[in-house]
Amino acid sequence: MKIVIVGNGKVGYSLAEQLVREKHDITVVDVREDPLRRAADSLDIMVVRGNGVSADVLREAGVVGADLLVAATNSDEVNMICCLTAKNLGTKYTIARIRNQEYTASLAELRRNLKIDTIINPESATAVEISRLLRFPSAANIETFCRGRVELMGFRLQENDFLVGKPLHALSAQVKKLSLLFCAVERGSQMIIPNGSFVPSVDDKLYLIGRPDSLDQFFRLLGRYAPKVKQVFLVGGGKISMYLASILDRAGIKLKIVELDEKRCRQISERFPRAMTICGDGTDQELLESENLSSYDAFVALTDRDEDNLIISLYAMQQGLPKIITKCNRENYAGIARSVGLDSVISPKFITASHILRLVRGMQNSQGSVMNSFHRIAGGAAEAMEFTVTASTRHLGVALKDLSLRPGVLIAVIVRGQDIIIPEGSTALQSDDKVIIISCNSGITGLNDIYAPERSASGTSGGQQ
Amino acid sequence: MNLKLVFKVVGRILQIEAAAMVLPLAVALLYREDPSPFLWSIAIVAAAGFLLAATPTRQHFYIREGFAAVGLIWLITGLVGALPFWFSGHFASFVDCVFESCSGFTTTGASILTNIEALPKGILFWRSLTHWMGGMGVLVLATAVLPSMGIRSHYLTQAESPGPVFSKLVPKQSQSSKILYSIYCALTLAEVACLKLAGMPLYDAFIHAFGTAGTGGFSNRNASVGAYGSFAIDMIISVFILLFSLNFAVYFLLLTKKFKEILQSDELRFFLIAVAGATVLISINIYPIYSNLLETFRYAFFQVCSIISTTGFSTTDWSFWPNFSHAVLVLLMFCGACAGSTGGGMKCSRVLILFRSIRREIHRIIHPRSVEVIKLDGKVADEDTVRSVLIFIGCYLLVILSAALVISLDGFSFTVSFTSALTCVSNVGPGLEAVGPAGNFFAFSHLSKLVMSLCMIIGRLEIFPVLVLFSRSTWRRA
Repeated sequence: MKIVIVGNGKVGYSLAEQLVREKHDITVVDVREDPLRRAADSLDIMVVRGNGVSADVLREAGVVGADLLVAATNSDEVNMICCLTAKNLGTKYTIARIRNQEYTASLAELRRNLKIDTIINPESATAVEISRLLRFPSAANIETFCRGRVELMGFRLQENDFLVGKPLHALSAQVKKLSLLFCAVERGSQMIIPNGSFVPSVDDKLYLIGRPDSLDQFFRLLGRYAPKVKQVFLVGGGKISMYLASILDRAGIKLKIVELDEKRCRQISERFPRAMTICGDGTDQELLESENLSSYDAFVALTDRDEDNLIISLYAMQQGLPKIITKCNRENYAGIARSVGLDSVISPKFITASHILRLVRGMQNSQGSVMNSFHRIAGGAAEAMEFTVTASTRHLGVALKDLSLRPGVLIAVIVRGQDIIIPEGSTALQSDDKVIIISCNSGITGLNDIYAPERSASGTSGGQQ
Repeated sequence: MNLKLVFKVVGRILQIEAAAMVLPLAVALLYREDPSPFLWSIAIVAAAGFLLAATPTRQHFYIREGFAAVGLIWLITGLVGALPFWFSGHFASFVDCVFESCSGFTTTGASILTNIEALPKGILFWRSLTHWMGGMGVLVLATAVLPSMGIRSHYLTQAESPGPVFSKLVPKQSQSSKILYSIYCALTLAEVACLKLAGMPLYDAFIHAFGTAGTGGFSNRNASVGAYGSFAIDMIISVFILLFSLNFAVYFLLLTKKFKEILQSDELRFFLIAVAGATVLISINIYPIYSNLLETFRYAFFQVCSIISTTGFSTTDWSFWPNFSHAVLVLLMFCGACAGSTGGGMKCSRVLILFRSIRREIHRIIHPRSVEVIKLDGKVADEDTVRSVLIFIGCYLLVILSAALVISLDGFSFTVSFTSALTCVSNVGPGLEAVGPAGNFFAFSHLSKLVMSLCMIIGRLEIFPVLVLFSRSTWRRA
C-alpha cells in the first residue's frame, strides 16, 4: 500500500519502521531536517521536507492516489487540515492524531466535517489501556478479543509457582479442565510457541488465552489472584493522568495524584473533587513515604521523564505494592525495566502505533477473512489477531491435525456462536467462526496466510495441553 | 566493522558479474572465437561469488559497512573485470588488464591498447559492457535484480550514486533501482536502433551505445567515432550523450508528467548553457581550420558533448586545435555532467553550489551580518550539503594534484602528467598531447597505471567511499 506519514516524531517513526517491515511504500513528511535525515538513513522510505498543511508538499509526497495518510504531527490543527487536504487531493483513508481535550468533546462532528476516517488520541488510548490493567491486576498485560469474551494475558513465573519445572502436558487435571491455552512464552529475548512437552522455568513470561472466568480461576490456583484494585497512587498530572483519573473516578476507585505544578494541581482538584491532590515532587521518596505509599493497591508512574518513572516504580516495587504500571516511551528502556521485574511497562507511542497498524492490516486483507482485532504482545515480538472465517477461507472443515501451518503460527482459540473452543487435533474451522491466531512472524494479513506453502507437508498445528 | 556482512555483499556482486560475463561469451561463440577466456573467468568469479555469499550473517547494514562495501566492491570489480583480458593473451601485463578493466567499469574510456581492431570481438564486447554496467552502477543493478539485498541497502546505492544529494524516485530502494535501469535500458536500445538506421553495423552499434550510455568512450575502432565519417552518426551520438548526462530523475518526472519540476531544475539549465557556450566558443576558435560553418559546428558540438559528459569519444584528432579550445575542454573535464547521471566529473550541481557560495562569501564581506541561504532547484540547500560540496571540491583537486605528482615520475611533460590525472579522476578518457584522442596510456610505468586505476575508482565513487577504506577508524572494532 502507498502510505504517507506526516510528522516524523515518536509515533511517526515507530509506525514507519513497522510498516516498512511489512513491505509498504512509505513517504514521511516533516518540517525538521535532522529527524528526516535520520529516518531516511535507517529506513527504506522516501522523505519530503515541508509543512504537511501545504497542498504542494502533500502532492510531492504522493497523496494523490495514496491508500492512507497518517497525520501525527504535534499539532492537532495541522493534523486536521492535513487530513482534509489529503482527502480532497484523493487519498483513500485518513487517520489523524488529535489529543486536545477540547476537541474530544465534538469528535463526531469533527470527523464528519473534516472527512477524517479515524481519530486517534494517544493519551486517551493509553489511559484506557492502564485502566484495563488495573481492572485485572494479576496479569502484567492483557488484551481482549470478541468484545471481552476472550482474554489474552501475560504473567511472569516466580520461583515457587507449581508450573515451574514440569512439562505442560503433566499439569494436574484441575488446570487441564479450564478452557485455557498457553499460547506464547517470552524467555529472555526469545519468543517460543510452546507445545505439550514445553517445560516452563522461572522468569519466563507466559501468555495465556481463554475465557475471563477460567483465567480468574487459574490465577486463584496459582495463588496469585489479586483482589480488585480499590486505591491507586498516581504520580504525574499530565494528559494521560487526566483521562485515567476520569475513568477510575467514574469506577469509584480512590485516587491520590501527586503533581509538581501548583496551578495544575488546582485544575486537577477542580475536576476531580473526590481525588486527593498532592502538590509536590513525586520522585521524592520521603514524600511518597509520608503519603503512605505502601498501603495502596496500585501505583502508576506517569511523569514526563522515562527515567523518573522507572526509578520511582522500582521504589514502589521495593515497598511491596502488588501492581505497578510504568509509562516509558523509549523501547530500549522498556526492555531493561522488564528484566528487573517491572512487567507492566506501557508506551503511548507503542499503543498508538499498534492501533494504526491494526487499521492498516485490516484495510489490507481483501481475501479470505476479515481482521477484527490485532494486538502486539511481548514488546512487538509476537502478534495476536482475531479473524472471522468466511467462505473463501481455505481448508474449511479439515481437521487441524491434517493441516500444515506456517512455523511460528498457532490457532489459539475458536469462538463458535456462544462456545469458546480451545482447538484440538480433530477440530476443524467452519464458516463464521471467529479465530484467534498467535504468530511470531509479522505480516499475516488474512487467515489464508497462516497455512504453510503447499509442498511442505510436515508442520505442527500448535501444541495443545 | 562487520566484515562478514561486507563479504556477503561482495559475494552477491561477484555472482552478478559472473552472470554478466555470459553475454560476451555468447558473442564470442557467435563469431566463432575462442570462448576459453570467458569460461575460465566465469568459473573463477562464480566460485568466489558463491563461496562469499554463503557467509552466514544476520546483522544489519550501517553507513560504515555501506561505504566500505562499495569501496571494496569497486576495487574487486576492477580485478575481476581484468580476468577475461588476461586470459585472452592480448595484453602485455596484468597491470594493463586491470587498467583497462577499471577504465571500463568507471566509464573512463582511457585505453592502453595501441591497435584496438586487432582484438577479438568477444573481448571488445566485454570491454564495452563494463562501461554499461559501471555507468548506472553495479550495486544499483544488484538492488534492482536481487530480491533481498537486505534492508538498508540504500546505504550501498547512496555511496555509488553520483551527486551531492541522494534522493530516491519512489519510497522503496529496489523499486527505485528498477525504474532507473528500465529507463537506462530503454535509452540504450533506442540508441542502438538509431545507430543501426544510420548505417552502423549492429555489433558496432551495440559497442557505441554501451560507450555512450555509460558515458565511457570505448570504441571498437582505432579512430573512435571518427572512423565512420558520417554526419548522422555523429549527431545521434552527440544527442544521446547529452541525454545520458542528464539527471535520470528528469526522465522519471517526464514519465509521471511533472513538467513544472523539470523546468525548475537549475542544474539542467546550467548544463545546457555550459554546452551551448562551450560549443560557440570552440566554434569561433576552430572556424579558421575548417572554414565551413556546418563542419565546424559538427566537430565542436560533438567534442563538447563528449568531454562535458566525460565520455571521451572523438570524431577528429582535436590535438591540433588551438590552445584556447584545449583550455575550454579541460575546464569542461572539471565540471562534468549532471548529478544522478552516468557521467563523471565534479557534477554541475556542485559547481553551481560553489559559485553561489562564492557569491555569498563576497556579500558577507560587504555586509558582515547578512544571512543568506543557498538555493538549488528552488529549494534551500542545507548548510551540511554546502559544506560537504566545498570539501568535496577541495579533495577532488587534491587527488588530481597528488596523482599528477606520482605520474610525473615517468618523465612526461607537465601537461601530459596533469591532464592524464585529471582525465582519470573525472572519468573522461583522453587528455592532451601524448594522451590525447589519438594517443593512449601504454607508455606509462606500472606504478602510474595503478595510480591512475585507483584515481578512476576514486573519481567514479566520488572520493569518500574509497578514502573510507583507507581510514584506520573504519577497521577499528570499537
